[in-house]
Amino acid sequence: MTLIHEKIERDKNAKMIARDVTVYYGAKKAIDDVSIDISPDYVTAFIGPSGCGKSTFLRCFNRMNDTIPAAKVTGTIELEGEDIHGNAMDVVQLRARVGMVFQKPNPFPKSIYENIAYGPKIHGLGEKKADLDVIVERSLTRAGLWEEVKDRLDDSGTALSGGQQQRLCIARAIAVDPEVILMDEPASALDPIATAKIEELIDDLSGRYAIVIVTHSMQQAARVSQRTAFFHLGKMVEYGPTSDIFTNPIEERTKDYITGRYG
Amino acid sequence: MTSSTADTTTMTGQGLEDEQRRPTRTPEFERRLAKRYRAERNFKRMGQGAIVFSIAVLVFLLGNMLINGIGGFQRAELAVPIDFAESGLIGDEVSLTAPSSATVLEIQGLPEIVDRYAERALGEAGAAQLSRDAWRDVVAALAEDPLLINGQRTFYLAASSDLAAGLAGEGSPQMQALADQLESQGLLASNWDLGFLSRSDATSPQQVGIWGALKGSLLTMAITLALAFPVGVLSALYLEEYAPKNRWTDLIEVSINNLAAVPSIIFGLLGLAVFLSVFPNYRSAPLIGGLTLALMTMPVIVISGRNAIKAVPPSIRDGALAVGASPIQVVFHHVLPLALPGILTGTIIGMARALGETAPLLMIGMRAFIATPPDSFTSPATVLPVQIFLWSDEIDRGFVERTSAAIIVLLLFLLVMNGLAIYLRNKFEKTW
Repeated sequence: MTLIHEKIERDKNAKMIARDVTVYYGAKKAIDDVSIDISPDYVTAFIGPSGCGKSTFLRCFNRMNDTIPAAKVTGTIELEGEDIHGNAMDVVQLRARVGMVFQKPNPFPKSIYENIAYGPKIHGLGEKKADLDVIVERSLTRAGLWEEVKDRLDDSGTALSGGQQQRLCIARAIAVDPEVILMDEPASALDPIATAKIEELIDDLSGRYAIVIVTHSMQQAARVSQRTAFFHLGKMVEYGPTSDIFTNPIEERTKDYITGRYG
Repeated sequence: MTSSTADTTTMTGQGLEDEQRRPTRTPEFERRLAKRYRAERNFKRMGQGAIVFSIAVLVFLLGNMLINGIGGFQRAELAVPIDFAESGLIGDEVSLTAPSSATVLEIQGLPEIVDRYAERALGEAGAAQLSRDAWRDVVAALAEDPLLINGQRTFYLAASSDLAAGLAGEGSPQMQALADQLESQGLLASNWDLGFLSRSDATSPQQVGIWGALKGSLLTMAITLALAFPVGVLSALYLEEYAPKNRWTDLIEVSINNLAAVPSIIFGLLGLAVFLSVFPNYRSAPLIGGLTLALMTMPVIVISGRNAIKAVPPSIRDGALAVGASPIQVVFHHVLPLALPGILTGTIIGMARALGETAPLLMIGMRAFIATPPDSFTSPATVLPVQIFLWSDEIDRGFVERTSAAIIVLLLFLLVMNGLAIYLRNKFEKTW
C-alpha cells in the first residue's frame, strides 16, 4: 500500500484521477495498484530507481501504452471525471488534451514552424495561415524559444541544439493547448545549462497546465515539483509534498533512496 | 587515510620496475601491434584489388559494347537523287501526311521510281544492292515535308546487307569490289543512322530500329509500376504498421521473401497460365507482360519498403501520436515521407530488374516479330531485352553490331533509371 502523507488531501481541482491502476507487460506486473491525483495547482514528480515503473505509469495518462501490444492496463484513470478508457473518450482527443514530452528530443524532421503547426493543423485549431502564425509564435514564446528561432522558422527542427530541440518539443506539446503535460525525463539527455532552462520553463508553465514529470534526478524533483511520488518495484511507496519527501521521508525505502543508498 | 599512504609508497618504490612490466610496453606487444597494422594494410589492399578488378571488368564490358555498338548506330547508305517533279508522283499535304501515304505512294509506283533513279545514279549493279524497303524512307521524308513532291532531293538510302558487309571489308569479293567502286565515287558511305532510334524491327539489319522495342518496354514498365508500386507499398505499410505479429504474418513474410527469390521464368509460366487464360487475345501485349513483371517486382518492393519503414525511428511515431495524430495520420504524415527514399530506391531497383528480364516474357509470347511500334497497352509488342535476344539469334552479320547498339540503348535506359533512384533518394532524404 502507498503511504500518503497527511498533508495531502483530496484535491478538488484535480484534473486527472488515477485509481488502482495496474499495468501488466505480458505476465509481469510493471505497475501494481497505484492511485494518484494530478492537479494544475502543482507540479507532480515521479521519482524512483530505474525500472521501477514510473515511466510506464506516466504513459498510462495519455494511453501511450496502447502502442505496446503486450501491455495491459487495469483500474480507472479519469480526465475531468471522464474515464479515459471509456467509450466517450477518443484516444486522439485524449492525447490532444494530455500532451507528452519524451526523454530524447524527437522533433519531426520538418521545419521549426511545421513542428509547432502540425498538432493545431490536424486538430483543425488554425484554419488560416494567420491563425497558425499566432499559435506558433505563442507556443514558441511560452517555451522560451521564440527569440532564438524567430528568424529561422523554416530551418529544420533537427538542426537545433539538443536543449533547443527539447524546448521545441515542449512548444509542440503546448501548441494544441493541452490541460495536462506529461514529461518523461525531459532533461536527462541535456547538459546542465539546457537542463536549467527546461526546469525554469516547467516553473513558468505550472499553473497553466497540470504537469507531471518523471525524473531520476532527485535534485531536479526537489527544484521543480511541489508533490513527489516515490516508486519502487512497480509500487508507489510514498507520496507527499516534495519538501516532506526529501527532508522527512517516512518509509525506509524512500529514506534509502533519498540518501543515495541505492538507485 | 592510512591505506592510501601505503599505496603511494609502494607505487613510488616500485615505479620503474612497474613501468617495465606493463603489458603494453613489452616488445611482444609491439610485435603484435605491428602485426595488427600489417593485417589492416593487407585487408585494405585486398579491398582495393577487388575494386580495381570489378572496375576493369566493367570497363572491358562497356568498352567492348561501345566499340561494337558504335557500328550499330551507323549504316551503309547509297546516295540516290530523286526528282519528284519529273517522276509524275502526285500528292498534297493531306494525303502525304496521312498514315495511309505509304500505300497510296506504293500504288503510284514509288518503289519502281526509286529503283529507276537508283539505276540512273548507281548503275545496274549498284541499284540492285539498294535495300528493298528503302523507298519507305522516301515516304517518311515526304510526310515530313510534303512540298518536296514538287522538287528534288538526294536521298541517302540503306544499302543491302551484302553491300554493307562489302563496305566493312567482309563478305564476297564481288561485293567488296562494288563497295570500293561506289565508295570511291562518293555514292556509298557509312553514315550515322539516327533512324535506328525511331524505327522498329525489320528483316534486314539495314532497316531495323530500336524504337518499337523501347516503346514496348516503356509501356510494359508503366503497367508494372502502376500495379507493383501501390500494391507493394500498401502491403509493406500494412504488414509493418497494422498487422498483428503472429504465426500468420510470419508465414506471409516468409512467403514474400521466397517469392522474391523465385526464378523469373516461373513467373512467366504463371503469367501464361493465369493472365493469358483470362485474356487470350492479348498474347504478347505490354498489358500481360507488365502484369507478369509486376508479380515479380512486387516482393522486391514489399521487402525494401518494409525495411525502409522499419528504419523510421519509433520516437517520431511517438511524437506524432503524442500530439494526437491518428494512426493513419502518423503513417501518411510521418512514416511514409521518411520511408519514401528507401521505398523509391527499392522500387527502381526492382523496376530495373524487370526492365532487363527476358525469360518470363518469352513464356508469354513477347518474342514475336513486331515491325510496328505498339500504339496501346494491348497491341502486340516486344521489349528491349527480348529484341536483343532475337537479334543475337539472327544469321545476318549486320545484326551483330545492331545487337550491341540495342544493348547500349538498354544500358543507357538502366543508367537513367538508377540515376533517377539516386536523385529521388537525395531529394527526399531527411536527417533526424
